[in-house]
Amino acid sequence: MSAPAIETTALTKVYGGPAFSLLNRRSRLAGIRALEDVTIDIRQGEIFGFLGPNGAGKSTAIRLLLGFLHPTAGRATVLGFDSVRESVEIRRRVGYLPGGIAFWDNLTGERLLDELAALSGRAPVRRGVLLDRLELSAATLKRPVRDYSRGMRQKLGIIQALQHDPELAILDEPSEGLDPLMQRAFYGILDDLRDDGRTIFFSSHVLSEVERVCDRVAIIRLGRLVALEDVPALLARRKRNVEIRLSGPPPELAGIRGVSDVEVGDGLLTCRLDGDVGPFLAAIAGSAIHDMTIEPARLEEAFLEFYESDLVGEADMGSPVGVPR
Amino acid sequence: MNLALLAHTWRANRLRLGVITVALTFWGMLMPIIFDAFGEQFRDILDSGVFPTQFAQFGGGDIFSLTGSVALGFVHPIAVGLNLVFATGFATTAIAGERQRGTLEVLLSRPLSRRVVYATLGLAGAAFIGISIAGLTFGAWLGAAITGRTAELGTGNLPLLWLNGALLYWALGAIGLLASVSFDRLSPAVSLTLAVVLISYFLEVLGSLWPDAKGLQPFSLFHYVDPKSVLTGFPDRGDFLLLAAVTTAAAVAALTIFPRRDLAAPS
Repeated sequence: MSAPAIETTALTKVYGGPAFSLLNRRSRLAGIRALEDVTIDIRQGEIFGFLGPNGAGKSTAIRLLLGFLHPTAGRATVLGFDSVRESVEIRRRVGYLPGGIAFWDNLTGERLLDELAALSGRAPVRRGVLLDRLELSAATLKRPVRDYSRGMRQKLGIIQALQHDPELAILDEPSEGLDPLMQRAFYGILDDLRDDGRTIFFSSHVLSEVERVCDRVAIIRLGRLVALEDVPALLARRKRNVEIRLSGPPPELAGIRGVSDVEVGDGLLTCRLDGDVGPFLAAIAGSAIHDMTIEPARLEEAFLEFYESDLVGEADMGSPVGVPR
Repeated sequence: MNLALLAHTWRANRLRLGVITVALTFWGMLMPIIFDAFGEQFRDILDSGVFPTQFAQFGGGDIFSLTGSVALGFVHPIAVGLNLVFATGFATTAIAGERQRGTLEVLLSRPLSRRVVYATLGLAGAAFIGISIAGLTFGAWLGAAITGRTAELGTGNLPLLWLNGALLYWALGAIGLLASVSFDRLSPAVSLTLAVVLISYFLEVLGSLWPDAKGLQPFSLFHYVDPKSVLTGFPDRGDFLLLAAVTTAAAVAALTIFPRRDLAAPS
């Protein structure tokens, strides 16, 4: 079995250590726990989603992996290299798209990509394919970056991160600013990379995107990991919404395994369904049913359920949230 | 040092460098010509007692001798201002400016250590300053040549004059870069560096105009630039060593601080 692409052990970052606090305005806000005890491992060749609302600690985690920040406790390795001592080796092998990327705006798109490829020290072997996929024309690339729209800048950001065919791509909110067509094109690029055995770690707060693209997902909240799951497993465990239009008396669903929140009225039965559908189907067999819909579980609901239960846990126990599942 | 970053920095600054160097060359040339044209009249005015004699010693320069006029050209606010474009402007924006804009993020996501980034930008800044001062020095020679006074200038001392001037701005540039690596935003880096420059300049000028304030001059970095002594063949090695020591100390501090700093997401 190959070594993990990314491995963190009890990774913790607290802003506001004694060193250099006079020089760093941010760190004078002493004691901000941006990340706490995060332990994850990301397998080579997978697309890993890092989910969480703004301020949850996603960018802090990414910056720790790339050596921009120094961990307060714990450690991280990326492609087998230590994130503190060997961050240059990490960045030699990684393509990175920062959130809200900024460029040297006076350069043309083409010049910018050339200069960034030169700084990477690797030939931009994927650039042509990426330009085609994201529909950035040669004429567009001749224009200064300052004239680019937000979407075009984001495309340029994606290309600069991937043009040198990195072993691992770390992408912070990659589809931000892309229109739906370009988002689809971007997902195609991710599929290509996965087919070529590349690993992709991307943070997002767009749940449908993570559901569409990722093999596994970690959910982070207030700097703590609250879930680390296979996306299909996470979805399978979520409750589905069932709606049945009745043309006769309602079926007896009380006590049926996996069925909850049953409500009946006006010829309409609604309930929630969890896990195996067999017992539910057996229970409704023979009932007079005019129409029935079972909504597939959405990651968004799974995500919200995690957060709801965490909030309940915090209120009940008065203690920080751990990794509950 | 990273050649790709050096090339990028050169391309981004070459036009500015060209303009500043031409301006400094012109300025350097102007002073000997002014001395040649009006030196005697200025001396008569001063001898008449209308102005205090200290006015003839502004920052160690004067307009009554060729070497004095060249020295005045070096310490005049116009020359200082032009030189500060790189010594403070480039130096402070090199890291803090890129960080504030968010472009440092893109740069540091490449396989470059922070020490390499510092060394490359420091070297580029040193080269820009060196070229600017070479323009000023060449201008002084050109002015002397136009007025037929090159022998009087002591051409052999010009490399040492260049080094003395360059060392001052390298020291100020190193302080600017130290401020640049220490802050997340540009304004505190610029403010701190400009404060050092302005206080330093004020102390030197004040000491040269007011005998009671002479004791303050050693606290000024400008005090250790003495074109008149260099051109007359009596440079003080201590001046060169002190400026070199300040440059080295600031560079060592920056190379210690920068790699250890946390670079949080730009806000």
